[in-house]
Amino acid sequence: MSEHLTVSAEHVTGPVVVLTAAGEIDHDSQSVLGEAAAAAFESGGRRLVIDLAGVPFCDSGGLSLFVRLHRQAVERGGSLRLAGAQDSVRSVLTITSLDRMFPLHPTVEQAVRAALAA
Amino acid sequence: MDEAGTARWLDAFDDILGRSHLWRPDQLASSVDAAVARLGMRTTIWLVDYEQTALRALPVAGRETPAPVPIEGSLAGRAFTRVESLPMVTEGDHHRWWVPMVDGTDRLGVIDVAVADMGDAGQAAFVRRCERLAGLVGHLITTTSERGDHLDRARRSRTMSTASQLLWRMLPPLTAASDRVVVSAVLQPCYDVGGDGFDYALDGPVAHLVILDAVGKGLSAGLACAVALAAVRAARGAGHGLHDQAATADAALAEQFPDARFATAVLAELDLDTGRLRYLNAGHPAPLQLRGGRLVRELAEGRRMPLGLDDPGAEIAEVTLERDDRLLFYTDGVTEARTRAGERFGVTRLIDLVERHAGSGLPAPEVVRRLAHAVVAHQGGQPDDDATLLLVQWSPVAVSKTVPHAGHAQEKDEAH
Repeated sequence: MSEHLTVSAEHVTGPVVVLTAAGEIDHDSQSVLGEAAAAAFESGGRRLVIDLAGVPFCDSGGLSLFVRLHRQAVERGGSLRLAGAQDSVRSVLTITSLDRMFPLHPTVEQAVRAALAA
Repeated sequence: MDEAGTARWLDAFDDILGRSHLWRPDQLASSVDAAVARLGMRTTIWLVDYEQTALRALPVAGRETPAPVPIEGSLAGRAFTRVESLPMVTEGDHHRWWVPMVDGTDRLGVIDVAVADMGDAGQAAFVRRCERLAGLVGHLITTTSERGDHLDRARRSRTMSTASQLLWRMLPPLTAASDRVVVSAVLQPCYDVGGDGFDYALDGPVAHLVILDAVGKGLSAGLACAVALAAVRAARGAGHGLHDQAATADAALAEQFPDARFATAVLAELDLDTGRLRYLNAGHPAPLQLRGGRLVRELAEGRRMPLGLDDPGAEIAEVTLERDDRLLFYTDGVTEARTRAGERFGVTRLIDLVERHAGSGLPAPEVVRRLAHAVVAHQGGQPDDDATLLLVQWSPVAVSKTVPHAGHAQEKDEAH
């Protein structure tokens, strides 16, 4: 069975919000991340960084959510960045060429720095 | 020449075609049997089930219907898998043959033919006529299927989900061939598929090839797959190239599904004169180019984002095939299939299996059938995700193996 997905949010500064996910992101669990992102947007977040270091698996349901969040962020004049993806998740993102849509950063620190600089 | 025999066969063909205008799907098997009675023949038509593991007999009026026969380990199965007519060992002076039944080159099943006298023209001519008969019945089964549910029901070992109904009705035949190329696909789990699909078009000197995998599960994935496939076909039908086909699918998906439902896909065109392959890879696992059972390269260029997500920066990639090269397209349900312990099927195992089959001389549809069953067996039961394989063989020898051939082979053997 898929592990339970948990997400915590940290407002770094102004529009930059880091969402730290832990667990598998799939069709059934992705709404947990979706709701956390919605709350982040609600409270003024625009530049989202999703920390995927604790995510061993992501299926097309998760990928579809990333695309939606990217769109929502861009509509608000912001961005979506993914950070710390494990090899399994990174390979899904590169095979699907979604790394052409939003950047993958090795670490959260690098992603936050890029988000702040934007 | 055996003119009287030839005339009787013509009469039988004429009778079958005459009856086919008005027969119902449930009358097809009895009608064929009645039409060939003038030849002293008795026929039982067997259809392969969707999962391609067993052959299932169509009932004939006034006769007991035999139980399904497994493809693995049976003579009937061998005739089916090899597309080759095979004699049965019979008691008394009856001759019995398992004759492969195809529609074009799409394997539909086998016909069990029993006859007391194979006629003055000899065994080879008799078997070849039986293969022609089976080919005619194959065409008629395909067209008659649409008139009712009977033939489709006969092919099913269980009920089919709404998503599977949607998909199977829009897919082309699993196998098609022209004189230079054969394309053969397989899709699992057949009674409960989601967003996988494939398409091809063999027109003029170009083979158009498509594999796709729409995001999501069940019917919602099936709908996205249907929209993407229809969009690609519409653009291709209007004479548009790969970029426009992808763009048409982008627009259709974005319009129908505002929730970012995309489909990964490979769209390709193989020039059968030159071997030049042009392709776009929309976020899909890279197809494999194989030669003599060895991997030549993964087709990892031509990258763009999945269909549904506009990506104007994409560039069409090009490679050149050598004669007899194979292309294997697959969806991630193949390589991501896992054992209960979590071990992935993986691309290495896929290549190993294709290598092993390369020298076997099996017809393309049989290679993909075995690959698909290896994937299902690896998972030890019902797959989590759709798994689709599409094999392309640019080879006249591979083509010849998809056409019923025992009649020809024996004719050669018997030539004076």
